[in-house]
Amino acid sequence: MAWLLVQLKLRMLRNALRSSARAKSSFILSTAFAALVAVGTFTGLALLRGQSTSVDVTSVVFTLFAFGWLVLPLVAFGLDGTLDPANLALYPLRTRTLAVGLLAASAAGAWPLANVLGLLGVTVGLASGALGLVIALVAVVLEVLFCITLARFVTTSMANVLRSRRGRDFAAFLFIPIVALYETFTQVVPRLAASGKLSTSSFGGVDAWLRWLPPGLAAHAIQDASTGHPGTALLRLALLAGITVVLGALWVRSLGRALVTADSSTQSSKVHGKVLPFARYGLRGTVTARLWIYQRRDPTSLVYWGITAVIMGAVSVSAIVGQNKHVGVLIASAVFGAAFVGVFHANMIGQTGPPFVLEATALTGRRTLRAYFSGQNIALAAIAVPLLAAVSFGLAYLARHPVYGLLGTAVDLAGVGAALGLCNILSVTLPFPVERRAGSPVRVTTPGYTSSGVGATLANVIGVALAVIPVIVAIALTGHDPAAIRMPVLLVCSAGYGLALAWLGGLVAAAAAEQRLPELCQVAVRSKL
Amino acid sequence: MGEPAIAVHALRKSFGAKEAVAGIDLEIAAGSFAGLVGPNGAGKTTSLSMMTGLLRPDGGQVVINGRDVWADPPAAKAIIGVVTAEAQLFDRLSGEELLEYAGRLRGLPAAQARDRAAQLLEVLDLAADAQRLVADYSTGMRKKAALGCALIHNPSVLFLDEPLEGVDPVSADVIRRLLTDFTASGSTVLFSSHVMELVEQVCDHVAIIDKGRIVASGTLDEVRGGKTLQRAFIDLVGPRTSEEEGLSWLGSSSS
Repeated sequence: MAWLLVQLKLRMLRNALRSSARAKSSFILSTAFAALVAVGTFTGLALLRGQSTSVDVTSVVFTLFAFGWLVLPLVAFGLDGTLDPANLALYPLRTRTLAVGLLAASAAGAWPLANVLGLLGVTVGLASGALGLVIALVAVVLEVLFCITLARFVTTSMANVLRSRRGRDFAAFLFIPIVALYETFTQVVPRLAASGKLSTSSFGGVDAWLRWLPPGLAAHAIQDASTGHPGTALLRLALLAGITVVLGALWVRSLGRALVTADSSTQSSKVHGKVLPFARYGLRGTVTARLWIYQRRDPTSLVYWGITAVIMGAVSVSAIVGQNKHVGVLIASAVFGAAFVGVFHANMIGQTGPPFVLEATALTGRRTLRAYFSGQNIALAAIAVPLLAAVSFGLAYLARHPVYGLLGTAVDLAGVGAALGLCNILSVTLPFPVERRAGSPVRVTTPGYTSSGVGATLANVIGVALAVIPVIVAIALTGHDPAAIRMPVLLVCSAGYGLALAWLGGLVAAAAAEQRLPELCQVAVRSKL
Repeated sequence: MGEPAIAVHALRKSFGAKEAVAGIDLEIAAGSFAGLVGPNGAGKTTSLSMMTGLLRPDGGQVVINGRDVWADPPAAKAIIGVVTAEAQLFDRLSGEELLEYAGRLRGLPAAQARDRAAQLLEVLDLAADAQRLVADYSTGMRKKAALGCALIHNPSVLFLDEPLEGVDPVSADVIRRLLTDFTASGSTVLFSSHVMELVEQVCDHVAIIDKGRIVASGTLDEVRGGKTLQRAFIDLVGPRTSEEEGLSWLGSSSS
């Protein structure tokens, strides 16, 4: 059975290579990234040799890997068919047989291999002597076994929830901290390291509590064996093995339960509020109401806003940390924030998908289309403006230049207006179907329409950047004017300018859409949401 | 017969080299409950999409109650209701929000949209689930909600693409009764299906489409010609499979 499930996993991986070009390229990229992680981790751990904090850093790395194993399967639940016990519930398999098979399937693939190879860096960085080396090998195997068992236990015990609509929504939200973590590692950590604020000594003492967690036990076992305490090392490994066995037993129990538990995907609670808000304000208010509700209830929308804020933060890092601070990037962060509002909403009809047909059957002319686009703009601006302004102020405060909060907001106001106007136009002139893939919280461009997706993204980024130039010029030219006059004038003029751009975009889009509604419907129905 | 509720002349559509609809003619009288039947891929959905202004035809004319769908789309759209095959709706709205939204899109005043939404939810047996998200609805509930959206502005002609596909018998009965009452009041229904028994039960007019062409059209009795509709349908479109080879192992006690 174990071999059969390993074959199933390997066959699924191989099939990815034979399917669409997108699946093939994502498989190759993922494998290349896994190899990079393996080499990077091995090198990083090996370079710790001889450093006083090597065991602390190793504990942190081992814990981070365990955290990754805990979180990523929740996001990728729908991607790996072997993660969901319901897929195997129909077959006449005993729970223990199935458990061994699933464990073996988890260990197959590029990422588990990359984990083992990467963590083997401890054989160079932390272990010394023959005994230290042997204990290091055992510790790495036990650490990976612990990670796999932990991941299986969590996904199996949460399988019913993850399969439900609410579970999928929850998994989508995990995307925001993952992006934030990625940005932290690529933007913040290198700058902190370059300025000397982050070094291996920063981790000194961090494992005062990490050492008692299973990953910490593995790291300290290697150090104990290498410093002449084999008994303690063995005790730590025995404890780690014991924890893994207990976790495994709990997993087997929850697996047995999951195989005979009803699907909870149809259970749901009721929503609050009986009336569609703003609906009394005509078609414009009705469209605003629908989109406003979606911004709250659709996890993809919340992910988009979260990522926009994260991107603004990432762009501003050089103004906040490091030795040479560039406060000008706070303005750039406002431009990027507005541009990403545009990027995420530049294909509103494709993103709306087949339900757009319901709207299209009621959109009967240019006047109703104008109301439709301006309704969308109102709902998006109601979130974008306060969000971007708050992030601009927050970043300016962190950079200790609060005045840049006001300047950033001026750019936000103009940029959001430009972005929304462009969104209206691009949604009509460059629409493309999108689809939701299992494991991905955001909608991706349907194969065959990549150039439209890239075109819309570029058009938005470039368009917003060009549109805010007058505001940036005004900021530069009025630098010596009294702030009490300069700031209100800048804010009011930027808001008016943004409003005009958004209005103009809606106008152009309505005129274009009037002639193209059937074609837009066909794009919408091709989306798979 | 007076002026037909639906008049289709030489309607055609090709996708690349494939001719999906090869110039169909169809006339449906007002107050009819008409069925458009055909095998999978016959051109039913493409035809309905062109009749409802959702897919631009390569040629031909569609007139609904005297309004040309492609010459004056706003006028035609105002008097039709549409339920698409997959009934994909705004699933992050609750049932009552969805119907109110559909009503407001159609220009009903807010209070009237709300009242009609409540009444439709009651009739469609969705009142208890009115405040649940459509995302959590079953297939049958979605079809009923989609029907509610299509009816809320009281259209004179209703187009439905596979309205009872995947719907349980109880929900199907609710939909069937509602549509029968709708046509009894003089309104017209045209729906596509490949379930002959259903068409035979509810329709007074039938058109059979195969390979993009109407191969038979008329009253139910005219099309059946004394046979069951299923038999008449197979005689017209022909069997699709070759001689059965049989699965010798299936059903035997040997494994």
